[in-house]
Amino acid sequence: MTTALLWQVRHFIYSHLVDTTLPPSVDETARHFNISAEEAGALYKELADRHAIFLEPETLTVRMAWPFSGAPTDFKVHADGKTYFANCAWDMLGIPAALHTDAVIEAVFTESNEPVQLEIKNGQIANSQSTDSQFTNYQSTNPQPLVHFPLPFARWYDDLVFT
Amino acid sequence: MLLFQSEEWIETWSLRNHLERGEILTLHQVWELSKLWYGNRLSVDYHGRSKEQVAEIFKQVGLTSKFWDVSQ
Repeated sequence: MTTALLWQVRHFIYSHLVDTTLPPSVDETARHFNISAEEAGALYKELADRHAIFLEPETLTVRMAWPFSGAPTDFKVHADGKTYFANCAWDMLGIPAALHTDAVIEAVFTESNEPVQLEIKNGQIANSQSTDSQFTNYQSTNPQPLVHFPLPFARWYDDLVFT
Repeated sequence: MLLFQSEEWIETWSLRNHLERGEILTLHQVWELSKLWYGNRLSVDYHGRSKEQVAEIFKQVGLTSKFWDVSQ
């Protein structure tokens, strides 16, 4: 295993996610680099050990390649004609930041379970509004949705799904 | 990191889950953080970052409390 190949695999995972909205399987990565599935799997594990990706426990399936999620979540990002899933409220903004593009984000407020739509346009947060018709006065009464970071940075990698 | 309508909802969530409140950022703060954190994530040259680089990003967006301390 070479370090150069390791980072090429990382880049391939991200390129595949950007192009298809899904992470590549180990077999797809093995075929792309003309290596064995065992070698590709070892590279996935090495990337996970370095916190470059997060694998579903006991599998070689990419669950997170931050800010992208390999599984559906409450944070849906429409950008460049595709729909991506983000891992969390931070990552829903991370996707347009990574893509350097405009985006429309559909999310759900935690605890109140109200749907909300956000827009990134020309590098700025252009709009945020509740999509629930009962909340027509949402912007005047709640002009600023909030993101809660439950754990300090020192504990982010203790439990990545919770974080 | 979860999205909330207000601090009151964060308080409710924290109490219900028996968790201490963490740090609360506005969307604009998180957007500024996102641009620095993820802006080069798709580059073939991105190989992760050092704690010093993380600390610099936090500093640039004004996240300087102990919560954001990378030295521990």
